[in-house]
Parts: sequence; structure tokens; C-alpha cells
Amino acid sequence: MEKDLLQAYKQAPWRTQIQRVGAFLLIVVVIAVIAGLYLNISGQSAATGRRIQNLESELANLKRENNDLQTQLGAIESVRELSARLDTLNMRPLTIEEALYLEVPGYIPAGGPRLAPPPVIKAEPSPILLPEFTSGFVEWLSQKLQTGTSETVPTDEAQQ
Amino acid sequence: MNESTAKRFYLISLIATVVAVVVGIQMIRIQNTEAASKLLSEGELYEGETRIVYPDRGSIYDAKGRLIAGNETTYEVALDLNSVSQPKTVASIASSVLGLDYTEVLGYAETKPGNGNPYYRLLVDFVTADKIDQLETIKADYSSREAKGNEIIPSIDGLVWVPHSQRSYPEGELGSNITGFYSFLDRTGGSGYFGLEEAYDTQLSGTPREVFLAHNPQTLSAVEEVPPGISLVLTMDREIQAMTEEALDEAIDWSGAEGGTILVYNPEDGGILAMASDTRLDPNEYWRYGELFPNPTPYNAAISKSYEPGSVFKVLTMAAALDSGFVTPETRFNDTGAFSIGGHTIYNWNRGGWGDVDMTECLQYSLNVCMAWLSTGMGEQTFYSYLKDWGLDRKTNIDLGGENYFPMKLPGSSDWYEVDLATNSFGQGISLTPIQMAMAIGSLANDGKMMAPHVVKSMIINGQQHDVSPVVVRSPIKASTAHDITEMLVTSLEQEASNALVDGYAIAGKTGTGEIATPYGYSSTETNASFVGWGPAADPKFLVYIWLEKPSISQWGSETAAPVFSDFVSKLVVLMDLPPEEGRLANNDEWYGE
Repeated sequence: MEKDLLQAYKQAPWRTQIQRVGAFLLIVVVIAVIAGLYLNISGQSAATGRRIQNLESELANLKRENNDLQTQLGAIESVRELSARLDTLNMRPLTIEEALYLEVPGYIPAGGPRLAPPPVIKAEPSPILLPEFTSGFVEWLSQKLQTGTSETVPTDEAQQ
Repeated sequence: MNESTAKRFYLISLIATVVAVVVGIQMIRIQNTEAASKLLSEGELYEGETRIVYPDRGSIYDAKGRLIAGNETTYEVALDLNSVSQPKTVASIASSVLGLDYTEVLGYAETKPGNGNPYYRLLVDFVTADKIDQLETIKADYSSREAKGNEIIPSIDGLVWVPHSQRSYPEGELGSNITGFYSFLDRTGGSGYFGLEEAYDTQLSGTPREVFLAHNPQTLSAVEEVPPGISLVLTMDREIQAMTEEALDEAIDWSGAEGGTILVYNPEDGGILAMASDTRLDPNEYWRYGELFPNPTPYNAAISKSYEPGSVFKVLTMAAALDSGFVTPETRFNDTGAFSIGGHTIYNWNRGGWGDVDMTECLQYSLNVCMAWLSTGMGEQTFYSYLKDWGLDRKTNIDLGGENYFPMKLPGSSDWYEVDLATNSFGQGISLTPIQMAMAIGSLANDGKMMAPHVVKSMIINGQQHDVSPVVVRSPIKASTAHDITEMLVTSLEQEASNALVDGYAIAGKTGTGEIATPYGYSSTETNASFVGWGPAADPKFLVYIWLEKPSISQWGSETAAPVFSDFVSKLVVLMDLPPEEGRLANNDEWYGE
């Protein structure tokens, strides 16, 4: 009787097998998904790394090209080249007798060339509000304890 | 499952487990052998490479931002021996395009890499871009061909070219006495020589940085950028420098001088506007240095060659005498034509006496006797104290490499004699460089304030331009003294109707004819001709110092250096946009064509 009851509630063997196969497949799928994600991420990382490498190489090339162009421009605009071109155009420097000057009130001659921006002066931000209004009580108290000073609130008398 | 099947199952499981354990143990064993650790360490070599990145050398610009020294791309051409497939083709092309020896290149190209032979063989460095263009054209041509039948397409695979930077000076020898040069052929140990390249070598070079370049793309990250070296913006104006060099060359040709120097100095801030010496080197061909500057030719005579300046020095003696209160411009002196001191007699340049003269006339007639009277009258302590205040006993510390100076004889030293007090007053027995003279006399043109001479106006550091503040070295004389001496020199030039006058401009100036010391005494035939002048006198914007060494057409500075000064300043005022004191102003109707 007891045997009969157990048999009555036991899963059918095919059902158990399917469950096991299912569990196994689930694990396989999870592992495959994780592996796929890992491959995808590592692939992207490698591609990005290679892209960075290419961009750095391109940056180096552009810097060299920039230097080359500056030097070429310098050579084209050199005194020697300009003098040769002026000779070809039958031009010559202005003489002291030919120079005419015009008075321009308020004119301030341009200073030297600015090839780069001037240095930025980093100003420390000055607080508009007192710390009492910007920090919490604990923070304010610890600051006061550290500095060991006690501020007195100005009274009307003191202001007068 | 019956019993026999279960046994087989267990047996297979046991075998599989044993195999797995054995494999695992073997894996652990292999990973811990000596060969494994050697293999691992070899593998690390392929993870990447550590490379020292040299920053681009900073550029040098003139006062208006025009490039004086920069960098350009050049190439090293080498053999990647793993990739060479046709050694003969490679050797042939390397020979025809690059001018290399065919047999030598063929020998390299046929070498098998490994076993002590390199994989990478440098053939030639500093190849120009146009040669590389030719190689690229040939390579592209070979790659585009299609084989017909058994035809073998030529290939230069394995011939590689790698770009790198090289110092370049687009202006050639223009301003080379100021810039100096950089030994760019030494790619790792190159350094700057003379001028700015030497003085600012560390700043221009920047800081090389060691970086790790990973080969594994997964571990690749952005390489930290190496900031370029500091760039310099100069006080030197390229147009003025070119005109100065041209004027100096013409002056040397015209006067038959052995050499010379012209220096243009801004007395207001100490900036050098131009500085030219007769021998100049194209820094792009710096290896010619030994040929052009045989020992002991200085690279920049203006800062490293001293000489006895002669009468141009009298402006300092007179300034000291006025400033100390020993004389005023109106003080009169009876010039008898001779002055005895320490057992020696001092004479004027024409051996004559000029009678009753004032201090302006002392300068105008350039009287040695008057100057000797001034220096002895002031006393040695006062006189030499002024000379030391003018920094004549030391370097000026101009920001250029290669500055030199000649120690000054001072009272108390074994080589100083009483007569030196007199001879020094008119610029003999004292040896000075043109830059020392310019800095000292600059105080006379700048309200008594002596400015430190400098060539760098600003520096570009990490993309920001920092201006260099002018430095007042000291004030050796009072402003009133400076105004007095300037006025006296303007008057003396005008009264003398000097060759140095410039039409429309009030110029203060003084000629100098310095005798040259030889082992047998002073030469009677050879002199150093000089002229120092500044203007416009009311508000000096330039001080020009000219030195012509041993001119042959005349021994006198008034006949050689003075006309050169006049001609030079006539061009200088136009380049500097300095209008004349009065007149030659266009009226507005004329200007606008009405």
C-alpha cells in the first residue's frame, strides 16, 4: 500500500529527464550569455584600444604636419624669399625722405604678438554667504573647534 | 540500470577523474617549471614596449611672431628584414632614390634575421620628404600592378621609413648669432650651442618621458601626452635684424674693416632689437661651425669679444663727472694739450691744445686731456665706483650662451697703475664687449636707469604666453645727469656737423677711435672705429652701437663708423615707425586725397 502511494506521487521518468536537461540547458545558456557578453565587452575594449592607438598615431602625424606647415610658411615668408619677390615686383624699401606720418589722436600701437593666450589667474572663490548659512551645524562646529576661535555676532553698537 | 552497467559507469568515471587529475597536476607542474617562467618572461616582452618620448623642441619667434626656429619632419629609412621578399629590388631602389651603395644594401637585405642578426637595420637617417614621396610613389606603383602569367611583380616590401622631427631654421643664417644652433643630427643626445639654443636648452627641450606602449589591444590606453618644450618670443625684430646684417656687411666692404658688430638695443626695457656680427652660420648646416669659426673666432662678437673702445667711453666718464658733482655742463677747462700723470703724459688725438673749452666742447672735440682731468679730479674711488655700477667689471648676464668679458683692472690690483686712471677715462687700457658698453650707456638714454639686456620677450609654456618683465639692474646716475649728457651730446653732434647726423631727428651720439694694443705697444696704423648713438633724444627708443674692426679707408671713427650710423639710423627709424621730431607729417587732406 505504502509502495503504491509513493509510486502514485512520483514524477514520471520522462518528466524528470526533461527537467534535468532543461536545467542543464539553462546553465549552458547562462554561461553562453555570460561568455557572449564577455566576448562582446572585451571585443569592444580591444577595438577601442586600437582606435585610441590609431588616433594617437593620427595626432602625432597631425602635429608633425602642423610643424611642417609652420616651417614651410616660415620659409615662404622668410626675409630672403620676400626680398626676392619684392625685387621681382620692382619694389624697394621706403626711404626716410619718402616716409609720411599721420597723427591719429588716441591711437595706441598694437603690442607684441599674442601667439597663445595669457596665463589664467586662478582666483580662489570668495564666499558671499557666511559659513553659518552654507554648512551644516556639525561641520560648522568642527570648523570652529579646529580653528579655536569664537566669532561674535556684530551688534548694532559695534557697527556704530 | 543493472549492476554490470553501473560498474562500467563507475569505471569510466574513475578513469575520467584520474585523467582529469593527471591533466590538472601536469598543468600545474608545467606552469611551475623553469622553462615556463622563462617563457612567461619572454611573453612579457611582447606585451608592449617601454619607449622614451622626446617632446618637440620649442619654437623661436621674432618680436612680430614670425618663425625663426621650428621643427620639420624628416625620416629614417630602414630594412624590416622579416618582410624583405626581393632583396635586389630593395637594394636597387634604395640605391637609385637614396643614393646608397647597392652592394651594401643588398648584403643587408639578404641577411636572415635572428641568430644574432637584427630584425631592423637602419640604412640612412634624415631623409627629406621629397625622397620619401618618391619611395611611396614606387611602392604604390608596384602594388597596383597585376601579375600576368608567371611574371613576378617587383616589390620593395621590407624597406620602411619612420618619421621624426628635426630642428629647422627657415631664415637660414639671419639672426644666427642670436639663435645659436641645435645639434639635431644627434637624435638622443643633441644639445644647443651658443645664443638662445644654449641659454634656453633645457626649457626648449622639454622633459622627455618614459611611456609604456601595450601591444595587447585590451590593455591599450591613451598614452599620456608629453608637452612640447617651451617656445620663445624674442625682442629681436626680423626686419631690423636683416637690415642690420645687411648694413654691417656693406659697412665692412666699404670701410675695408676686418670685422664688425652692430647692436640695436632698446634702452627703455633692455630688449635687443638686432645684433649682428660679421661671421654668421646657417644653423641648418651647423656642422660647418669649425670651418667658419676657426679658433678663437667668437660666435657672437657683440657679447663675447672685448676691445678697447676708445672715445665712445668718454660719455661714461663725463656722465660720472656730472653725476658726482665734480663738474657741470658749463664748467670750463683750459686744455693745454698735455696732462701728466704717474710719469706719463696724456695727449689729445691731434697732439694739440684746444684752450678754454666747456664740457660739451670736451665731448665735441673728444679731448683726452679733458677726460684725464675729469677722472683724476673725481678721484679713483669715485671713478671706478661708477664703472662698477655700470657693470663694466662683470658679465651683463644677457640671456644668450657664450657671453664673455675681460676683467677690469682696478686700483689695488698688481696690474693697475696710476696712469690707468687717465687712460681708462678715454676708453684705453680697459677692454669691454659691445653689450657691456650698450647696457652701461643705455642708462644715459633711460633717465639713469640701467636695464638688463635680454632677447626673450615672452615664453609659451603649456599653451600660455608668459611675458618676461624687464629688469632694472640699478640706477648708476641720476635722471637729471642722463638728460644733461644727452643734451650735451646732441649739441656736440650738431655743432660738429657730424657725419652721424640724421635729418629730422635729434640724436645723441659719440664717435670712438680706439688704439689697438700689440705685444710691442699700441699700433700706430690700426684702430677700432666705434660709434654709439641714441634717439630720438627727447624719448629714446633705440641705442645703436657700431664697432668696425681695423677699417682701412680711415682710422677715425668719425669718418667710418659715424656715416655708417647715420645711414643705418635713417633706415631704422622707418622700420620702427618713428616720426621725425617736426615736419614731414602728412596733412589730412593730402592723406585722404582731397
